[in-house]
Amino acid sequence: MPTSPAPSTTPPPAAAPGTISARGVTRRFGDHQALHPLDLEVSPGVTGLLGPNGSGKSTFMRCLVGLVRPDAGEVTIDGVPLAGDGVAVRRRVTYAPGELALYGELTGEQHLGFLVRGRDRGALGRARAVAQELGLPLTRRVRGYSHGMKRQLLFAAAMGPEVPVRILDEPTEGLDPTKRAAVLEILGRDAAAGRTILLSSHHLGEVDAACERIAFLDAGRLVALEESAAVHERMARLVRVWWDGGLPARAVKLLDGLDGAQARQEDEHLAVTLPSGDPRGFLAALAAAELPAPSAVEHGRISLNVLYREIYGVEGV
Amino acid sequence: MGRTLRGWLAMTVAFGVVLEVMLVGAIVWWPNFRENMGSVRLLAKPLPMLADMVDQIESLGVDAYVVGQHFFKGCNTLGAAAAVLFAAGAVAGEAHRGTLEIWLARPVTRLRLALERWLAGQAALWVPIVLTTATTPLLLRHVDESMELGPLLLCAVQQCLFLGAWYSVTFALSCAGSQPARIALGMLFFSIFEFAIYLVKTLTDWSLFRMTDIQTLAKVLRNGHLDPAMWVPLAAVNLVAFVVGYRLLARRTP
Repeated sequence: MPTSPAPSTTPPPAAAPGTISARGVTRRFGDHQALHPLDLEVSPGVTGLLGPNGSGKSTFMRCLVGLVRPDAGEVTIDGVPLAGDGVAVRRRVTYAPGELALYGELTGEQHLGFLVRGRDRGALGRARAVAQELGLPLTRRVRGYSHGMKRQLLFAAAMGPEVPVRILDEPTEGLDPTKRAAVLEILGRDAAAGRTILLSSHHLGEVDAACERIAFLDAGRLVALEESAAVHERMARLVRVWWDGGLPARAVKLLDGLDGAQARQEDEHLAVTLPSGDPRGFLAALAAAELPAPSAVEHGRISLNVLYREIYGVEGV
Repeated sequence: MGRTLRGWLAMTVAFGVVLEVMLVGAIVWWPNFRENMGSVRLLAKPLPMLADMVDQIESLGVDAYVVGQHFFKGCNTLGAAAAVLFAAGAVAGEAHRGTLEIWLARPVTRLRLALERWLAGQAALWVPIVLTTATTPLLLRHVDESMELGPLLLCAVQQCLFLGAWYSVTFALSCAGSQPARIALGMLFFSIFEFAIYLVKTLTDWSLFRMTDIQTLAKVLRNGHLDPAMWVPLAAVNLVAFVVGYRLLARRTP
């Protein structure tokens, strides 16, 4: 099981351009320790930051761009250390916040102009192009925008500037599947150009397809940092089976060890961990077992809380 | 045009228009006032501070009348309220709306953000006061009176420093707070309190409005220069309050 790396004390090695490096970042709000000493290095490509609500994703992202001052630790982005009010770092990063508070009296176009202030000359044009690709009505006042449209406006503004790093807090939250796919496609193109993109979500399955690596946070701690393919491989080994009327009494006994599977009861269903990502052998054994026909079988799909419990041993997520 | 700039411009124009309308009204009314000075004194008799003002106008003539009407009455009442309203939402308004994060997230230093907001508010006070004051000599011609522009503008500078201090203190509070309405109400109550004690003869010297009353500004008109004992502390309050506000903003978390 991957474990949270301990805070480092050794100096960091020279990072590649566009690298986000956080070492021992901590932040407390009153009695609440929002971030425990957290180390994370993000290299170019798309990295997902996953965790449930309150896990510290937004606080961590705000620390990275200097909006929240870490109590301790070091942040370096594209080789520039976070210092002072963080403006040197923010010149190398765009940030789309998770909160959707915008100036309703402005049109979409005016708002993009506000958001890209201080950026390169072409930033507004590129942000406008992204907004148009997403079908945003830029001449309308933002107060008439839906939740999803506001989210896309922030996304478009974050995609406009020529910077090596983009930090996006829940960029697909509240979007319909079509828009979500469009956003992920734009992100993929951007990452292919060599940028570093760190994006957060609290829904596994929403963004993980676009990510090369996934960092899992829980209660302000880094639970794991894994290649996305490895996470998918783990997910592919999980099968859950439901029966009408609840779990048959003999199901665990009959199915545990069958075709190398490890079966256990979980709430009202059966949770099975397969030896590989191919479920066919287990499904054939399930069909042949002396059990009632299942009402539902789920393979390779998993919620974040189940993933945390099943893979990382973190309960109550 | 930037969102903020447009807002400040609208406030500046509104403040200036109301101030000018009040000034025109006061100057047009001057001949009547002068003719009925005796009746006005009788009306003011129950309030010794008001009676003093009438006496000053009677002895100093249109100069005292103009500084009383334009600066002490117009600028102080309207300007103190405007200063508080301009400043209360400067930063606290962003926090209240939830837009503090997008405001701070851009690659702009917090010093620059603070300075822009503070200067915009100062300009929204200074420009209308100076411009309306500059129209005074022209308006006075219509009632066959005259005043020199230079000393009048010095009075305007003192008035602006005074209201600027009011603005800057409110700005500092706004940099720390998230409730613009509470900040504005608190400062407005303070303004009313200060105005109220000005009108009490035994307490009047404790009122901050003494710095821009007829007696003080008439001295500026007479001497042709600002009194350092007045403008230096006012300028210092402006500066210190801005620095405090900036430092609070620099530590601010969205």
